[in-house]
Amino acid sequence: MRYRLNRLAPQLALTPAVIITLVAFIGAIAWTVYVSFTRSRRLPEAAIDFSRPFRQYERLFQDNAWSISLTNLIVLALGSALAIVFGFILAAMIERERRGEDFFRTVFLYPLAVSLIVTGVAWRWIFNPDLGLQNFMHGLGFTGVHFNWLAEGETAMYAVIIASVWQSSGFYLALMLAGLKGINEEIWNAARLDGVSLMRVYIEIIIPMMKFTFLTCAILLSLGVIKAYDIIVAMTNGGPGQSTWVPAYFTINAMTQRGNLGYASAAATMMLLITLAVFLPLVLLTAWQQRLVRKEVA
Amino acid sequence: MSDPLAVRPAIRLNAGTQEKPVLFPRRKSRINGRSVAVLVFLAMAAAFYCVPLYVLVVTSFKTMEQIRQGAIFALPTEWTWEPWNFAWNEACSGITCEGLKVGFWNSVKILIPSLIASISLSAVTGYALALWNVRWAGTFLFILFMAAFVPFQIIMFPLIQLTVHMGIYGSLWAVAFIHTVMTMPIVTLIFRNYYKDIPDELIKAAMIDSGSFWRIFGEIILPMSANILIVVLIMQITHIWNDYLIGVTFGGPGGQPMTVNLANLVTVSTGTVSYNANMAAALLTAIPPLVIYFVLGKFFVQGISAGAIKG
Repeated sequence: MRYRLNRLAPQLALTPAVIITLVAFIGAIAWTVYVSFTRSRRLPEAAIDFSRPFRQYERLFQDNAWSISLTNLIVLALGSALAIVFGFILAAMIERERRGEDFFRTVFLYPLAVSLIVTGVAWRWIFNPDLGLQNFMHGLGFTGVHFNWLAEGETAMYAVIIASVWQSSGFYLALMLAGLKGINEEIWNAARLDGVSLMRVYIEIIIPMMKFTFLTCAILLSLGVIKAYDIIVAMTNGGPGQSTWVPAYFTINAMTQRGNLGYASAAATMMLLITLAVFLPLVLLTAWQQRLVRKEVA
Repeated sequence: MSDPLAVRPAIRLNAGTQEKPVLFPRRKSRINGRSVAVLVFLAMAAAFYCVPLYVLVVTSFKTMEQIRQGAIFALPTEWTWEPWNFAWNEACSGITCEGLKVGFWNSVKILIPSLIASISLSAVTGYALALWNVRWAGTFLFILFMAAFVPFQIIMFPLIQLTVHMGIYGSLWAVAFIHTVMTMPIVTLIFRNYYKDIPDELIKAAMIDSGSFWRIFGEIILPMSANILIVVLIMQITHIWNDYLIGVTFGGPGGQPMTVNLANLVTVSTGTVSYNANMAAALLTAIPPLVIYFVLGKFFVQGISAGAIKG
């Protein structure tokens, strides 16, 4: 009797999580993908229109706002990659120097604890053309400088990137710091004895050794960028015009502003495909890493 | 073997953060030129990171007259609490003008049930997956791993319908429920990764001792979980407190968390913009997670490494 209870209890304990996964994740994804093939407008429609099942996708690919969103996604990803670079440089300095490690880590990580809406308020204020940084620089006599980035379509995305890098570099710093601390101290001593310059040690030894950390950071960054929504709302709300739209913003806009469920579902499905395209390398990377670890153990 | 404390050193949250014995002390006894350069660079970078916070703080204490003169980086000539009072009690968000305190209490009311539900659900699930022989455990873990990265947009509308059917859409309960659902995969994986390092022998001994799933959890596993519970708690508090999208989607007019309240408050455009009150409002929203971060920073950092889960 007791044995049977034992077998049963863990399965029972898993039931809520299994139901959530089946309904809220698998079921919901299947539903959205299905709806993307229907002609649903404000309310979901059950019937797939088989004469043109891909109508939503055809419209999507012709939509200028969608191509802007995709371009911005790439711009945002490339720009945010600076966060990894800064994260590594700062982590390397903190790790080598050791003095003030706790202090610096605390300072570089605090933006992570703050809501992106707060980040948006702070940076919008700094970019305020009349009273912000531009005004300050003009007061100093640099009348040529221009920091009214948020008001112009060409530069608004750069302002978003600055705020985003400020917010997220601490995250990569923490991961890099953990990676750097895992490196054997012997390597440093050997390099020092051989008289190899610090720069070369980093470029030729440390960075190749940390390739997994870098790859993990890059994949997590890409996954984060695809989800980027709050920062856009907080910084520009998509504007000026549609110049800072990203897929996450596009999808929610199609659902709530245009009230077009089928269209929004098609965009959401595209987001899922992009996520999968990034996610697959993460799975392969994990498998590769585990194989390497096993080889080392063997 | 029945003493759970005996195995504690064997359990580590993350192998990467683990301190290794330092054979060659790195700290140099004297400051050399390179150290100075590195420290100066780090200090400058730190100053840059502090600029947004500094600007928020000084602006929130200034009078509007001083703000209109420009000089964004100047200290207040006359310190005033008035913007803070206004932001907390009177500022308008949408049609109501009751300040941010409404959003603050909403966020607290969202936070408490979300924390209880998500942590208990995920801890038990992680425990069952890590230490018990359950069918399809590998498949389930893989699905959870994928679910942790699913963009919210693809499941947003079905979840809205779900909460409508449950009769909670547009309330604080819907926001709390969705937070529990959305964070379940990652938190479960964190607990599972923590529990899977518990030695088999301990569980086998416990099985002979009492054998009950729940008793082992309550008497052995939970007492060993203090560290991971704090890490997850902090991670969840900051994550849920700072969320905007779920709050704005599921909260409805009466259930808006503080971030949504803040976003509405700063975009309200009736008359002149009270920048000082906006900055005070932003700080009020940021203070709870910041306090937790500055007090319990170590656990916050552990949460980051645990959240960036591998495998």
